[in-house]
Amino acid sequence: MKAKRIDHIGIVVKDLDTALGTYARNFGFTVDAARGGSVAALGIKNAFMPVGESDLEFIQPLGEDGPVAQFAKERGEGTFMLSIEVDDIDAAVEHLRGLGARVGAPSNGVAFVSAKSAHGVNLQLIQRQ
Amino acid sequence: MGIGATHIDHIVISSNNSGAVAQTFADNLGIEIKRKMIRPGTSAQLAFAKLQEVVLEFAGPPEVKPDEEVKAKLWGMVLAVEDIDAAVSELRAKGYTVGDPTKAVQPGAKIATVKGGTSGVPFALIQYNALPIEGASS
Repeated sequence: MKAKRIDHIGIVVKDLDTALGTYARNFGFTVDAARGGSVAALGIKNAFMPVGESDLEFIQPLGEDGPVAQFAKERGEGTFMLSIEVDDIDAAVEHLRGLGARVGAPSNGVAFVSAKSAHGVNLQLIQRQ
Repeated sequence: MGIGATHIDHIVISSNNSGAVAQTFADNLGIEIKRKMIRPGTSAQLAFAKLQEVVLEFAGPPEVKPDEEVKAKLWGMVLAVEDIDAAVSELRAKGYTVGDPTKAVQPGAKIATVKGGTSGVPFALIQYNALPIEGASS
């Protein structure tokens, strides 16, 4: 497999609206209104701000469970995850599993690599259409 | 008005063994490590890979303890801006503490660190072609 591009960097925040306001007002970024919202399955709500060919994803936990809530509890706000675009998500997952990495099943073009398989870095693989 | 950011220039992954982490990323993700260097001044060991416009910087200490478990974390990012002096002035006017732009390790570039007010993200600005490149003919 070959990683193509940094799709986005995930940033955990306590309050999504506050963070978006800060990045818009102070840094001049604009929310992509076509994406983001609540993701019940992950216990989060998120929003994206494009910067060049990549995005900043702001993620607010909605409850006490899940990796985002755990990160917020332990570290507060900060950089949480790196999302990497690949050509073929199924092939990428198979490749990584073949190397012994722990990777979740792909869903809607996205798969999560266990931080334990990347020395502690949360990685997401994503296949764009 | 914003800071004139054009793209994420690089993302820093810090660890206790930058060479090992860079090698894992190279082996697992098919990323080519293009450059390794020792940072002048701090002697930090750096390795760099580039995915289109974004550089992944793997940073670690000068000395690696061979028996220590390799641990890394996604640290922060550097945004490329068109005019670093204007961006720094803009942020300072908004109450930010921003370091003075200084010569970066990247040839001809200047870099400034933004301290706080970034939702917990270690954050710096870089402008390329801000300084004459040493050794280049004018």
